[in-house]
Amino acid sequence: MVGVKIGLEIHVQLTEAGSKLFCGCRSNYRGLPPNTNVCPVCLGLPGALPVPQPGPVEAAIAASMALGCRLPWAIVFTRKHYFYPDLPKNYQITEYEGAHGAPVCLGAVFHYLDPGSWEWRSVRIRRINLEEDPGRSQYGDGGIMASPVVMVDYNRSGVPLLEVVTEPDLRGPRDARSMVEYLLLTLEYIGATNPRLEGAFRVDANVSVGGGERVEIKNIGSTLEVERALRYEILRQTKIIEAGGKVERETRHWDSTRGVTRPLRHKEAEEEYLYFPDPDLPPLPITGKLKERARSRITLLPGEVYKTITGHGVGREVAWSITQHPPLARLYLTASEHVADKKTLARLLGVDLKGALKDLGRTPSEPETLPPPETVITLVKLVEEGELPYDAVRGLVLPKLAQNPKTPIESLIPEKAKVTDSLIEAVLMEERKALCDLLRGKKKALNYLVGAVIRRVGKAAVDPRAIRGMIEKKAREIERLCLEAESS
Amino acid sequence: MPFESAWRLKEEMISGDLDPVEHAAHVLERIRRWEGSVHAYLSLRREDEILGDTGRAVERLRSGKARPLEGLLVAVKDNIMTLDLPTTAASKMLKGFKPGYEATVVERLRAAGAIITGKTNMDEFAMGSTTELSAYGPTRNPVDLERVPGGSSGGSAAVLAYGGADLALGSDTGGSIRLPASFTGTVGLKPTYGAVSRYGLIPYANSLEQIGPMGRSVRDVALLFSVIAGWDPRDATTLRRTGWVDPENLAPLDPHSLRICTPEELLEGTDASVAKRFDSLLGELEESGAVVEEVRIPVLREALPAYYTIAMAEAASNLARYDGSLYPCRPSTRPRSWEELVERTRTECFGSEVKRRILMGVYVLSEGYRDQFYLAATRIRRLIRNAMMAATRRCIVASPTGPVPAPRLGERIGDPLKLYALDVQTVTANLAGIPSLSQPMGRVMGLPVGVQWMGPSMGEETLLRLGLLVEEVLGYGRG
Ligand SMILES: [Zn+2]
Repeated sequence: MVGVKIGLEIHVQLTEAGSKLFCGCRSNYRGLPPNTNVCPVCLGLPGALPVPQPGPVEAAIAASMALGCRLPWAIVFTRKHYFYPDLPKNYQITEYEGAHGAPVCLGAVFHYLDPGSWEWRSVRIRRINLEEDPGRSQYGDGGIMASPVVMVDYNRSGVPLLEVVTEPDLRGPRDARSMVEYLLLTLEYIGATNPRLEGAFRVDANVSVGGGERVEIKNIGSTLEVERALRYEILRQTKIIEAGGKVERETRHWDSTRGVTRPLRHKEAEEEYLYFPDPDLPPLPITGKLKERARSRITLLPGEVYKTITGHGVGREVAWSITQHPPLARLYLTASEHVADKKTLARLLGVDLKGALKDLGRTPSEPETLPPPETVITLVKLVEEGELPYDAVRGLVLPKLAQNPKTPIESLIPEKAKVTDSLIEAVLMEERKALCDLLRGKKKALNYLVGAVIRRVGKAAVDPRAIRGMIEKKAREIERLCLEAESS
Repeated sequence: MPFESAWRLKEEMISGDLDPVEHAAHVLERIRRWEGSVHAYLSLRREDEILGDTGRAVERLRSGKARPLEGLLVAVKDNIMTLDLPTTAASKMLKGFKPGYEATVVERLRAAGAIITGKTNMDEFAMGSTTELSAYGPTRNPVDLERVPGGSSGGSAAVLAYGGADLALGSDTGGSIRLPASFTGTVGLKPTYGAVSRYGLIPYANSLEQIGPMGRSVRDVALLFSVIAGWDPRDATTLRRTGWVDPENLAPLDPHSLRICTPEELLEGTDASVAKRFDSLLGELEESGAVVEEVRIPVLREALPAYYTIAMAEAASNLARYDGSLYPCRPSTRPRSWEELVERTRTECFGSEVKRRILMGVYVLSEGYRDQFYLAATRIRRLIRNAMMAATRRCIVASPTGPVPAPRLGERIGDPLKLYALDVQTVTANLAGIPSLSQPMGRVMGLPVGVQWMGPSMGEETLLRLGLLVEEVLGYGRG
């Protein structure tokens, strides 16, 4: 794929910002009955006025900082006009460069890890806009042009949205996917979004092959689809070029069910958005105080985490496996301060606990799926000290912990087998030959007897050293059994 | 003034000389007598409700728990949201509209003990200067029923003029409080931009408009202003300032400390008779010790086109939401698609002046024209603001409120340019965001005419004190 150029426009909802952008309604509307997460402001009713809410504003500035952006002096909102059934004011409050507007990010070089090659790559971010999401509409037969009914749910209307626009720096579908995943992860780390929520982000992609016209693909709903859609589109354009044709500049729609891009049925008319600064929203200066509050949201970033874990001597795959889940990463970092064997810790969290959760259809991205650090620290220490074989942790402990992360540590560790004096005595009585060999100084016999005791207990979690001592002591007590046997 | 000022009524109610219920009954009687010919109210509360509220005010007054507007009757312009009465902005588009939230100013009125009488007529969406452009028919001027009361807050001004309320709220985008005050012989204040919350005001041109107080005396206006002014967390453009005015302790300005500037640009096009009345008022003030200075602020000649360009741009944007989905008016026949619904709703439910301003607003914002019109207008606006800030630091800027006394019905609305020219003196204060007070300065051909004072940003107190001085000089406002 020589000469492939890809630029992305990624719309990410700030689902974790707490409120909508300009009113107190919730930023995460999922699971609510239609039109129950609304108020006069987000319904766009006349006289209701937008007031920038601290949660979304701080999250947006934090995002801009975390991605390495140049910040503007103020957040300036602009009205962008277009008539659409799910847009209650028939204009969207967004940001715009020009007409006295400014986006929340004036440009950045964003570094991301490509877990295919384990290389760090970079992409130029042209700008990031903070804007309001529209509502959602449903049509009957004939779609927007002919349907006799339109049903609109305004629960989403006004939810804060970041529009991240990159330069056409991405070189392939896999690269584009890695970039989107790393971007979403960064925003998840700063508590701005939960990318796993349905509809939390959408991607539009611009693709050109061999210096030809660029084609825009709209409406890609997952990172996997980003890769699929781009693969398809590059193949389509390559075929046209190979057949001696010319790629037309157009906008296409990604049909994920059929796995193809298709031209949009209606050519968009010359875009005329009548931009002008929203008079209800005076420029909101990005003061030192505001920056401070935004910065306090950036406690951890995926790059730091990944580098710390690999710095502990943990392999890249396992380190990345942990980094991909902010709660798991935080758990690792807390626990790693208290244990020496970081590799075991990493394996426990990044491979086996994650695997056990996956078996249950859970993900370590949700903090409530994870055990408290104390539990993890204790387990790793038990392994370090040889009290507990790692296999027992993996096979017996982690599945229980995945079921219920709050399980107390005592009920997790396999019970120490009750190796009592009488049990030892019973075994020795049975294994009289080995006993006598032992008393005659044969070391091998001792190992055999330890094995016999363990077999009897039937548990993995016994301490062989302790059993050894008990056997030696008991053997001397019942020495006469051998003497009797020899004399008889 | 034929009727007592709200301030006097308030004093009489507190002293027990006036029974609020008796007073309310008188007001209701005037409403019954005048409404048929004036048509100032679009909706009225039921008489028994108003009298019931007044009865409760009596108890508070007797127990010494009277709030600032206890027992006073206040009319509210129909573009200000009220819970109990529909808010239509005099448009067919919003016929019967009751969205279930209330403007901040109305909440403040109720908290101050005011009794709301009803909603007053206006030009549709406040687009007009005569109150002839209401979808529900024009309001007539009680001073002369053949004439307009001015607009767009003509209903509020007319109600005050015939005694159908003690106080009223208007809104002023380019003179909509002051011009009606001038035409009806009442007083109106366009506050500093950001002094009064716009939450609940149906927007016409957000960056220009303010809700403001209207009354029959300067102290009435100060009283109502003191109740509605102040920061509102629901309006990001309100100023974080408290203590705007104290109507109780407001004294007339000492004329010797008064400096008045009259920009000649604001007198061009003014009727000679109005200019003469203005000059003689200034002469009287000079005699009592004020300094009057003629000045030139050439950029004010650009004020009217800059104002209409910005107002229409914002209007086109604000009125985009009326598409037939969330608002009451629907096309006469069932549309076949959403696009048709939008088109037909807007065609059928907006009046022609509203449509004219939307079309012009879209034009001035369009790619290729935005620089030439909208951005050029915002540049002129900045120059005007700077010039007016500089001027009002030195002096109170004065002019007649309008170029003429109240025109006859039909005289101006035929020609939009003639209609817009009525605002030539008033738009400057809106472009600059500074306060402006209009009060009567006498009569011309038997019709009231007003003078307007413009002060520095947040200079309401000075303007109101000047207003008290002028009332003294002219012998008004004693009632
Ligand atoms: Zn809301």
